[in-house]
Amino acid sequence: MRTRTIRAWSWVHKWSSLISTVFLLMLCITGLPLVFTHEIEEVLLHQQWEPGRQDGERLSLDQVLEVALSRYPGDVAAFMSFDEDRPVVNVTSVAPDGPAGVYNFQPIDQTSGETAPPVSGHPVMEFLLQLHTDLFLGLPGMLFLGAMGVMLVVALVSGVVLYAPFMRRLPFGAVRASKSARTRWLDYHNLLGAVTLAWVLVVGVTGVVNTLATPIIAFWKDTALKELTVAYDTPVAVGERASLDAAVKRAQAALPGMKLQFVAFPGSDYSTAHHYAVFFHGDTPLTTHMTTPALIDARTGELAAVAPMPWYVKTLSLSQPLHFGDYGGLGLKILWAVLDIAMIVILISGLYLWLARRKKKA
Amino acid sequence: MSRKDLGLLAIFGAPIILFALSLIGLIGALLEDGQWDGLGAALLGTPLLVLAWALIRRRR
Repeated sequence: MRTRTIRAWSWVHKWSSLISTVFLLMLCITGLPLVFTHEIEEVLLHQQWEPGRQDGERLSLDQVLEVALSRYPGDVAAFMSFDEDRPVVNVTSVAPDGPAGVYNFQPIDQTSGETAPPVSGHPVMEFLLQLHTDLFLGLPGMLFLGAMGVMLVVALVSGVVLYAPFMRRLPFGAVRASKSARTRWLDYHNLLGAVTLAWVLVVGVTGVVNTLATPIIAFWKDTALKELTVAYDTPVAVGERASLDAAVKRAQAALPGMKLQFVAFPGSDYSTAHHYAVFFHGDTPLTTHMTTPALIDARTGELAAVAPMPWYVKTLSLSQPLHFGDYGGLGLKILWAVLDIAMIVILISGLYLWLARRKKKA
Repeated sequence: MSRKDLGLLAIFGAPIILFALSLIGLIGALLEDGQWDGLGAALLGTPLLVLAWALIRRRR
C-alpha cells in the first residue's frame, strides 16, 4: 500500500473514531447491564405472587380492558399484551390530549382484575435503556445514535484496511510487551479489533437498524397498512367498537397454530384508525421474532385482512435479537458481556493511541 | 515493500476464520434452538479463546 493511501485511511479511521468514541463508550457501558435486563429485573422486582383465583376462571379481554381504563379515566387503549408464564394481561393506555410518548402501563390479573406486580420496567433499567436508545431526546436522539453507529462501521472498515500495513511484519496475535507502552497498546488494539470484528459489526449494524424503528413502522403504516384500509374514511368511535374477545378469536381462526403476542387498538402506532391489529408470532426460533398481524374491522368484528410484514419490518424484527443477544440462553449473554468489555478496551486504547501520538508530535 | 513482508493471506487468514466462526455462531443460534444455543455460543467464543492464547503465547 502506498504511503498516501495509508495516510488517507488513517485520516478516515481517526476521525470516524474520534467523533463517535464518547457515544460508543456510553453505549457499551449502558449496554453491559442491559444485556442482563431480564435477570436483573427478576432480582430487583422479585415478589411472591399468586393469581387471585385458582379455579381457572378468567375474565374476558373486554372485562380486563374495562377494569384497566376505569383506573385511568379519559385514557384510550393503545396496546394489550400477554404474559407467557402467568395469567396476566398488560394494558397500555394513553391520554388523548397528554404529552407524546407518555403511556400508562398496567399488568392485570386476568383471574381477578386486580393489579399484578410488574415483572419488567424497573426505573434504573428504564433509565439505562432510554439513555442507550435515544439520550432522552426522542427520535432525534435515536437517529443521532444511529449516525454514530454508521461512524463505527466506517471505523471498522478503515481499521481492517489499516490492519494490513501494521501487521505486515508481525505474526497474527503478536503483542510486543517489552516495547514502549504505545507499541504495546497498538498491538492490543489491533489484536482485539481483529478477533472481535464479526460481533462488533453485527451489533453495530443491527443497532443502526434499530435506531430506524420509528420511521420504519411509520412507513409501514403509511404504505402497506394503508393500502389494506382505503375503503374507510371515518375512525371508529370507542362506543361503536365490536367485542375485543371476538376480534381476537376471529384473528386466531385466521392464523391457526400461531401464538398471540399483542393487540394494537384502533388509532395506535401499530394499527389503523379502523382496526384491531392482532399480532401473532411463530414458534420456531426464527419465526418467534417475526410478527404477523390480522386486521379485524373494529366496527363489525370481521376479518379485514392478514397482513404479512414487508421485508423492511422483518429486517427490523431480526435486528432486535441480534443486537440484544437475548436469543441463545445465558451463555450467549455472558459472551455478549465479555465482547462488550473487549469493545470498551478497543475504544479506550484507540483514544490513548491518538493522545500518545499527539504528545509525541508536540 | 521489502521481501520480509507477509502476504495478505498470512495477515488476514486467522481473522477471516474467526470472523466466519463468529458469524456462523451468531446466526446459527438464532435459526435453531436446543443444541445450537450451546454450539452457537461455543463458535462465538472462539475469538476469546484465540485472544487468551495470543495474550499468553505471543507476548514478547
